[in-house]
Amino acid sequence: MSKQLTIGWLYPKLMNIYGDRGNLLVLQKRCQWRDIVVKVELLDLGFEHLRLKNCNLILMGGAQDREQEAVVEDLFKAKDVLNQLIEHNVPGLYVCGAYQLLGNYYQEANGQKIKGLGIFDLYTKNPGKDEKRLIGNACFKPDLFDYTLLGFENHGGRTYLEKNVKPFGKVIKGFGNNAKDNLEGAVYKNSFGTYLHGPLLSKNPLFADYLIEKALEIKYKAKITLQKLDDTLEENERIEIAKHLQIEI
Amino acid sequence: MNFLIIFVGKLFSSFIRLLNLGNGSTWPGHIALILNPNFIEETLSKSKVKKVVIIGTNGKTTTSKLIRTIFKANKSKSVYNMSGANLLNGIASSIIISSKFDGELKKDFALFEIDENAFPLVSEKIKPDFVIALNLFRDQLDRYGEIDQISSNWKRVIDKLDDTVLILNSDDPQIAFLGKERKKNVCYFGLEEKTLEKNVLQHGADSILCPKCSSNLNFSSYYFSHLGHWKCPNCKFTRPKPDLSKLSYYPLKGTYALYDILAAVLFAQVAGIKKSVIESALKEFKPAFGRQETLNYMGKEVQIFLSKNPISFNESLSTVKSLGGKNIVIVLNDKIPDGLDVSWIWDIDFENILTKDINIIVTGERMYDMAVRLKYAGFFAHVSSDMKLSIDKMIENLSDNEKLYILPNYSAMLEVRQLLTGKKIL
Repeated sequence: MSKQLTIGWLYPKLMNIYGDRGNLLVLQKRCQWRDIVVKVELLDLGFEHLRLKNCNLILMGGAQDREQEAVVEDLFKAKDVLNQLIEHNVPGLYVCGAYQLLGNYYQEANGQKIKGLGIFDLYTKNPGKDEKRLIGNACFKPDLFDYTLLGFENHGGRTYLEKNVKPFGKVIKGFGNNAKDNLEGAVYKNSFGTYLHGPLLSKNPLFADYLIEKALEIKYKAKITLQKLDDTLEENERIEIAKHLQIEI
Repeated sequence: MNFLIIFVGKLFSSFIRLLNLGNGSTWPGHIALILNPNFIEETLSKSKVKKVVIIGTNGKTTTSKLIRTIFKANKSKSVYNMSGANLLNGIASSIIISSKFDGELKKDFALFEIDENAFPLVSEKIKPDFVIALNLFRDQLDRYGEIDQISSNWKRVIDKLDDTVLILNSDDPQIAFLGKERKKNVCYFGLEEKTLEKNVLQHGADSILCPKCSSNLNFSSYYFSHLGHWKCPNCKFTRPKPDLSKLSYYPLKGTYALYDILAAVLFAQVAGIKKSVIESALKEFKPAFGRQETLNYMGKEVQIFLSKNPISFNESLSTVKSLGGKNIVIVLNDKIPDGLDVSWIWDIDFENILTKDINIIVTGERMYDMAVRLKYAGFFAHVSSDMKLSIDKMIENLSDNEKLYILPNYSAMLEVRQLLTGKKIL
């Protein structure tokens, strides 16, 4: 019998500013091409928490400030469910705004602190209008696997990691969490936070496979090895981007 | 001082055009503003010309071309900036080219399409008599920033321009918001076309929160993206009733173009141009370069649909489909005017618009990004780094009555056009 996965996308209507749904499309297709049946839960404002509880893989993207504010309150109501999933090793990808929201707090330029979910032990500071946004093609080397992640970053906030969370990797090109400590993203259990925004899985298909594999392993409590796919086009895309960035991958 | 600037500027711009180096639409102005930062306001204040500014993410150039066509039919003299030359230097250049040597502009209208971020500064300098605001969509977020930021900058500036007449899109909440609390000098265009209404929100819609109180807006219908009939259930801010919503003839295809046409016509009516003149102008209209423009190449018709962000790409695809197009070349670049970030291609709705019998070649600097996007949408595309070869191949395989459709983003459109016509435009 073919395997099944439920992917939960948190706030697709409001948190999708940079082509974030690309990540969902990539996960969906890469499952389908391997005969893994995918169900997608679109979890918009006011969603039923049981629907999130049944998910095997979580996605959440970025948004403008106004949309993000609208989401915070709703997400707090689902905090316990989300926390439980994350603690039970259910994999998730939290990009940009979502990455910040999962931290301890976000400090506005005027010093005011907005409480985060506190799932990732980190905080983010808005450095104010005089500091530039961190924008550009970027790549980093993850600590967990030998596969350079490529993408694009565009964020004003600077994120600093505390002791109960590990960095996702080390910056090769670009700014990373805060343009200072050379670290990018965060990892807690199987949950990943990153500033590589939008459709990062399309540029890093093996990371998509990593998430699928983990999701299946947690769900079926068994070691899973995914069948290989023809990624020639994706590889060509990666080579082009690497040329742009003047790096070797 | 301005005499010298204009003299040298005119000379310089003819040189550039003579040598086919472009059309000299930014450099003379650039130099003029270095020599005299007040060049624009000094020359404009000398003249009685009415100043018209067009802003919006999509449709500026088409709206400007429509209005120019109406001016021509009305025998009104006008000066305008070239598309793409929509910062201060482009405006200064157009003044240099069109003014007399003493700096006087003997024109009835000055028509400027203005970059989203340049609008606050430009309107301070030129004090427009009319502002036409078309729409706000996500576009080049790495360059323009978030659309909430843009709209709040616009609102701040517009609230100070009491004597300026606003011509606003009633169907775009962020644009309609610009006219809120304004007692006079504001009018609206919008669609009331039952047959074009959709009842589901397209992917990638931007302004679904109330611009005033941030509640979820209620939409009773959508035309495309977040344009439609909306109302805030909380603060009751509601789509204003449009002053113009229907015309008997539209010179361009596609829902998105209807808005541009309504905007141009409403402006012309407000500016006192006769209905009969407007109607005859629309019949004469020829598209602006790259915006549904048809060119002949190797004995075949090639139509170019500038497609520079998710919304314009979706609308181009829908229009090509409605025209029965089966052969398309997509050209995707990531030069500075395009934005460096191509993430937006994942917001294009290939899945719901295209059908499997489409024949696609992708080319351009980010062709593999596009090919991967298409792969995940379930479409195979040929990939070629040679744009000329891609287009030539497609042309050779067309049957007699078939047309080729090219969907380039901005810098790619300039390259395509240069290839097809042998001339540089910017």
